[in-house]
Amino acid sequence: MKILVCIKQVPDMESRFKVNAAGDWYDQSDLAFRMNEYDEYAVEQAVQLKEQLGGEPEITVVSIGPERVGEPLRKALAMGCDRGVHIHDADSSRKDPWQIASLLAAFAREGSYDVIFTGMQSQDRGSAQVGMILAELLGLPSVTTIVGFSYEDGQVTVRRELEGGARSVVRVPLPALFTCQLGLNQPRYPTLPNIMKAKKKEILLVKEGDFALTEGRALTSRLFRPEKKGRGLVLEGDVAEQSQRLVEILKIKTAVFR
Amino acid sequence: MAAKLFKGSEYLITEVSKNDVFTPEDFSDEQKQIGETTEQFVINEVVPHKEEIEHLNYELSAELMRKCGELGLLMIDAPEEYGGLELDKATSMLAAEKFSMAGSFSVTYMAHTGIGTLPLIYYGTKEQKGKYLGKLMTGEWVAAYCLTEPGSGSDALGASATATLSEDGKYYLLNGTKQFITNGGFANIYTIFAKVDKQHFTAFLVERTTEGLSVGVEEKKMGVKGSSTTQIILDNAKVPVENLLGEIGKGHKIAFNVLNVGRFKLGATATGAAKQAMTEAVKYANERKAFGVPIATFGAIQEKIADMNAAIFASESVVYRLAGMVDDRLATIPKDTPNYYEAYQEGIEEYSIEMAIAKVFCSEMLADVVDEVLQVYGGYGFTQEYPAEGFYRDERINRIWEGTNEINRLLIPGTILRRAMKGEIPLQKEAMKAFESLMSPSFEELDDSIPFAVEKALLANLKKAFLIIAGSGTQKFMDRIKDEQEILLAAADMAINIFAIESAVLRAEKMLPTCSEPRKKAAESAVKAFAFTANEKVATAARKAAYYIEEGDTLAMLLAGIRRFTKYDATGLLQAKRNLAAAAIEAEKYIF
Repeated sequence: MKILVCIKQVPDMESRFKVNAAGDWYDQSDLAFRMNEYDEYAVEQAVQLKEQLGGEPEITVVSIGPERVGEPLRKALAMGCDRGVHIHDADSSRKDPWQIASLLAAFAREGSYDVIFTGMQSQDRGSAQVGMILAELLGLPSVTTIVGFSYEDGQVTVRRELEGGARSVVRVPLPALFTCQLGLNQPRYPTLPNIMKAKKKEILLVKEGDFALTEGRALTSRLFRPEKKGRGLVLEGDVAEQSQRLVEILKIKTAVFR
Repeated sequence: MAAKLFKGSEYLITEVSKNDVFTPEDFSDEQKQIGETTEQFVINEVVPHKEEIEHLNYELSAELMRKCGELGLLMIDAPEEYGGLELDKATSMLAAEKFSMAGSFSVTYMAHTGIGTLPLIYYGTKEQKGKYLGKLMTGEWVAAYCLTEPGSGSDALGASATATLSEDGKYYLLNGTKQFITNGGFANIYTIFAKVDKQHFTAFLVERTTEGLSVGVEEKKMGVKGSSTTQIILDNAKVPVENLLGEIGKGHKIAFNVLNVGRFKLGATATGAAKQAMTEAVKYANERKAFGVPIATFGAIQEKIADMNAAIFASESVVYRLAGMVDDRLATIPKDTPNYYEAYQEGIEEYSIEMAIAKVFCSEMLADVVDEVLQVYGGYGFTQEYPAEGFYRDERINRIWEGTNEINRLLIPGTILRRAMKGEIPLQKEAMKAFESLMSPSFEELDDSIPFAVEKALLANLKKAFLIIAGSGTQKFMDRIKDEQEILLAAADMAINIFAIESAVLRAEKMLPTCSEPRKKAAESAVKAFAFTANEKVATAARKAAYYIEEGDTLAMLLAGIRRFTKYDATGLLQAKRNLAAAAIEAEKYIF
């Protein structure tokens, strides 16, 4: 069995963000970066599957981005992945989900993976599209936002999280792709011995330019902070007057009565 | 790897370049990852139990130690041969720094991995290591170190505990009482120092279940209440002869070498603790309003925040610079050297001066920080509802244990002078040169194209000031200088602050080419704010020493020299502090 995990490096969400000079993304200088939280669930699930199968599957972990992407790749290796692939792209934040998925597909096509795990979405862009587009490009079935995963005899049974807290159970034959949601598992801490062992594992460096260029389909034209909302309104008068006024406001400003 | 390998205390007589120092910006991916694992472990597994830990819960502490073991946090310094990781000191210090957030539990951890386990690692026989090291690395067993006695602390060699060989020659019978033993209440193995035949200071590995060993009651302490501190009472404790550690009569080597590393590590934990305390204070300053605005908008609060940030920057620079020095030196020893740990000890010993500097500087930096943090909280800082009072109480012990700051200060010039007399460092020659430059006017022009040219010129001058004071002291008192403690303390203050300023400047200089504009500005501001304060300390110490040593014309000449060599143009100091404060207030934490 061959497993692929796609991970992304994102800024620490407790950082103070500033809009960049071009006004279309956040300023990346002086930020602390870490592995996207949902991707940690993806790595953990891959490692658990490998452990369940007695260590037989080989896990490849791939990430697109600049130099610093080596860090989360090393972490994934320390958590138990076998080899890393760094698709070097200094400008990956300018690529839309379609381009990112296309790059990943170009890489993954060669590997004929049986199971692919990605995070449900990234904590910075949050498009939640890359996993699904990647599956489409590879012609694989995909199941999104999984919160439970079990494997038996070539078939996977997953639990999905639906709107309003509902759950569904889905069975999929392999190969297939899964996007991982909070609650799927508890990612392990990389232990110190494993961190040191990971140093000896290979990270293959390929360039984004080694793959055919795909045109972007969506452009982030502007990034800005929402304008400050107006101040609250205090209604006065007796209860009847107040409720009448409230209904009027709701009719004009909201869709409650439509 | 640094460009040059420096001898201990050599920084005082030579110029050091940025390529010679290791800085936190130089961490490898693995080092960062180990830091992250440690931090995550502490945040997720220890901090939620903090309250319970503070009430001293042996079982919880023992369980957390086993969890540390599972993650490999107890094998950082242990040799690979026994399943350890044998990582460098930079990694070890980073883990220690991250651990400081664990409060009292960090004391348990530090005592176990430091003074508890290192004697065995450095001096244990194959059999002893085979028997105990595994258990200590998994956390199945907890370790403690027993040196202090009710009647002897800093004068450790004055211990009165005794060890007498039994008639059948199979056991040593240990008698005496050991005082203030960290982890005493629940440790499984103790490294105990006692005198064989009442005169030969010797170390023993003593299991808890040893017949004749008993544990005293818990001390009621001012801080770090969640760590165990007890007496260990030895009443004919029957210790098998094979548990004698090292050699008879060589216990002092074990005791002091292990303390060297402990002092160094204390610098790292103090740095971590200061970062945490400062972060809380900045958050509070942003929340708390007075006169209708957050108190963080006031210059009075901003100055505190700037000073704290600058001091922590220096402290961090000291710790990792020293880690780099030690690692570079230890890396020159081939692993297959027979008596590897003997050569290793010499490497550690080489930097005993810098380790004492780290201990004193970082612990006093933390003292200043927690004091100001409490002040930022105002009246609420005095209550137990906010974390400031806990930081304040927990800090105090750091200036006492691992050798009081007085003992460590005395050790700094004491060791320098001893090495100078042995001819290991050309102190005399350099002091003569400094005196000469005192007599000749200076026409040196500053080269503005060099980053931190002003600070570098200052450092060169401060080193001269140190040499003049050290030279005057020895000239006046000859070898009796070792008894002039007030002068030695002042000389130590000079050496400490010079090392700290230099570490901060070189780190900032190393950062500049790769960092963003705002970060560059912050680093320059931190250097200016810190250099100003630390230079004033050097100047005060130098003047004090001059008055202690000389009188009349010679005194006047010394004072004039000090005035000249401690001149620092800190133009833009206020703006520097405001910049630094603004950055920290925006980030709501220590910013480097």
